[in-house]
Amino acid sequence: MLTYIIRRLFILPLILIGVTMLVFAMLSMLTPYERASLYVSDIPKRQGAIEDIVKKYGLDDPIHIQYWRWMVGQKDEVTGEIDGGILRGDMGFSTVGHMPVAEVIKHRLPATAELALLSAIPLIGLSVWMGIKSAVHHNKLPDQILRVLAIIGWSVPTFVLGLLLLMFFYAKLDWFPPERLSLWASQIVQSGEFTRYTQMNTIDSLLNLRFDIFLDALRHLVLPVITLSIISWAFLLRVTRSSMLDTLRQDYMTTARAKGLNERRVIKGHAVPNALIPVITVGGMTLIGLFNGVVITETIFNYPGLGKFMAASAAMLDVVSVLGMTLFSSFVLVFGNLIVDVLYGIVDPRIRLD
Amino acid sequence: MQKKILDVKGLETRFRTDEGVVHAINGVSFEVNEGETVGIVGESGCGKSVTMLSVLRLIPMPPGVISAGSAEFYEQDLLKLSEKEMQSVRGAQIAMIFQDPMTSLNPVLTIGKQLTEPMLLHLSISEEEADRRAVELLEMVGISEAEGRLKDYPHQFSGGMRQRVMIAMALSCNPKVLIADEPTTALDVTIQAQFVDLVKRLQADLGMAIIWITHDLGVIAGLAQRMMVMYGGLFIEEADVKELYANPQHPYTVGLLGSLPRLDGKHAERLVSIDGLPPVLYAPPTSCPFAPRCEFVVEKCLEENPALEEVAPNHKVACWVDIATGRMK
Repeated sequence: MLTYIIRRLFILPLILIGVTMLVFAMLSMLTPYERASLYVSDIPKRQGAIEDIVKKYGLDDPIHIQYWRWMVGQKDEVTGEIDGGILRGDMGFSTVGHMPVAEVIKHRLPATAELALLSAIPLIGLSVWMGIKSAVHHNKLPDQILRVLAIIGWSVPTFVLGLLLLMFFYAKLDWFPPERLSLWASQIVQSGEFTRYTQMNTIDSLLNLRFDIFLDALRHLVLPVITLSIISWAFLLRVTRSSMLDTLRQDYMTTARAKGLNERRVIKGHAVPNALIPVITVGGMTLIGLFNGVVITETIFNYPGLGKFMAASAAMLDVVSVLGMTLFSSFVLVFGNLIVDVLYGIVDPRIRLD
Repeated sequence: MQKKILDVKGLETRFRTDEGVVHAINGVSFEVNEGETVGIVGESGCGKSVTMLSVLRLIPMPPGVISAGSAEFYEQDLLKLSEKEMQSVRGAQIAMIFQDPMTSLNPVLTIGKQLTEPMLLHLSISEEEADRRAVELLEMVGISEAEGRLKDYPHQFSGGMRQRVMIAMALSCNPKVLIADEPTTALDVTIQAQFVDLVKRLQADLGMAIIWITHDLGVIAGLAQRMMVMYGGLFIEEADVKELYANPQHPYTVGLLGSLPRLDGKHAERLVSIDGLPPVLYAPPTSCPFAPRCEFVVEKCLEENPALEEVAPNHKVACWVDIATGRMK
């Protein structure tokens, strides 16, 4: 098991470097002039202004030198120090965010993380449990109902559902408002009397023993969580059900029954561990996907997460931000993959001994 | 006088399928005595496995249903027990091993866990005691370094070794009857021989009765005392082993024995086979199920299904025709 993890950890930096190369390649598809004009807001008054910028920042240097500079930073002419670079976390300046890209990501990640975790955990638990039940009661009433619900959940577009929920539960009933916190709550949160630990409202409010803020944060999360998780829920339910049906057909199930085990033990002890193997992969990837931010849901509910930032950057042609987010997303994916691989090795003993 | 421990009478099992109701077993009766080995022989699809799965009530109940008959184990009808009572019989009193060792063990549980599972369920022993017994069992079936092996997974064993683990698992609670459903079919020939020797030795030590299902007439000859031949969900011949091989009385049995390739056969001889295919019965047989393929067929065969009748001491056959003369009895 250990060698399995270590081997994967060794490859990790290589993959990450590969990602940076890919992202940089995308950046360098713009000509030096286009890249210079990313930072220029007005038409320059002087004739050679753009060319000067190109020279100053070395935008027409050979590509591998630019890549190196992008990664490890630039030598300041005045002080002689080297600063910046991807390796130091400097992803450039975001026009949309009005701060360095890295800062924006740091700022918005907790919101997205909170949404992702709250969507993923109940959703995964619920869909897996229902998928198992569905398979065990194959073709009977619970199965039929769940299958119909899954197809509906899978088919309804996020924006339709989100808007409908918002219209009904917010506009009409005012039960579940959009955004993250009500005005009174965010005033308290931003004041000195509230200590920030994780930047996630639900966790921090509990740690500060402010249950009123906790409930307010939850209220704001209900609709985006439902909107976000319905599709993943439907998908995971179908995957679990299908995997479970497959497992129930296996010979070792008959062997287990022939040993005299009752049906509950047979299902729980013999079928479920096998059936969950593909579910872990799919569930893990779903969770990772949620961490990258979800554009539509965040836009509908005006939720200040990474998805909204990515969408705004793309709309404003803020190439630097988009590429920074791409880099970030890729890193999240690669790390998430590693975790899923390790989990897979824990659950399936056949994998870990290769 | 041998003690009868399993007495099956008139067992009938049906399956509902999209094409209709399949009559898999149509009135099967047999007895098993303490400590004896009985062989059940027949082609694929004749109902051998379904018979034994029905006795243990492991048939999935839709689409299957055991529609008639009784199966008395020590004078208790297994078909009338509650599911809970049945669970205390399975694995403890009657154990079963299956054909494919590659798929019959759970791939994500350790061998140790799978071995100790029936023991912890049926015997009141501690986990340490169960582990100790598991090691003993593995040694008994010839797996070396048994103690370390408990933590291994099935994919770390070869096919032959997995089948040994299956036997160890089946015998862990000292059952009175071991049902072996084609246990050597998926093994190499040399491994088959080793396995049969192992089973013989285990029976000598533990004294359980064995019901061995096979379609390999070669394997069963050295193992069983009595043999039963199955066709179309019915037993069509029953005899002691030597008698069956020497004097088969049913045309099907003759065909089966005749189709065995022989070491002393002529080199360029074509293999003999029985024309036609075994039937799938969508109705209970009203005529002899073998009639369409039989070379001795007479008119009565198509009108009425013969019952098993004794034609020699301990030798029963279900046939209207005397194959020595080719005429009706």
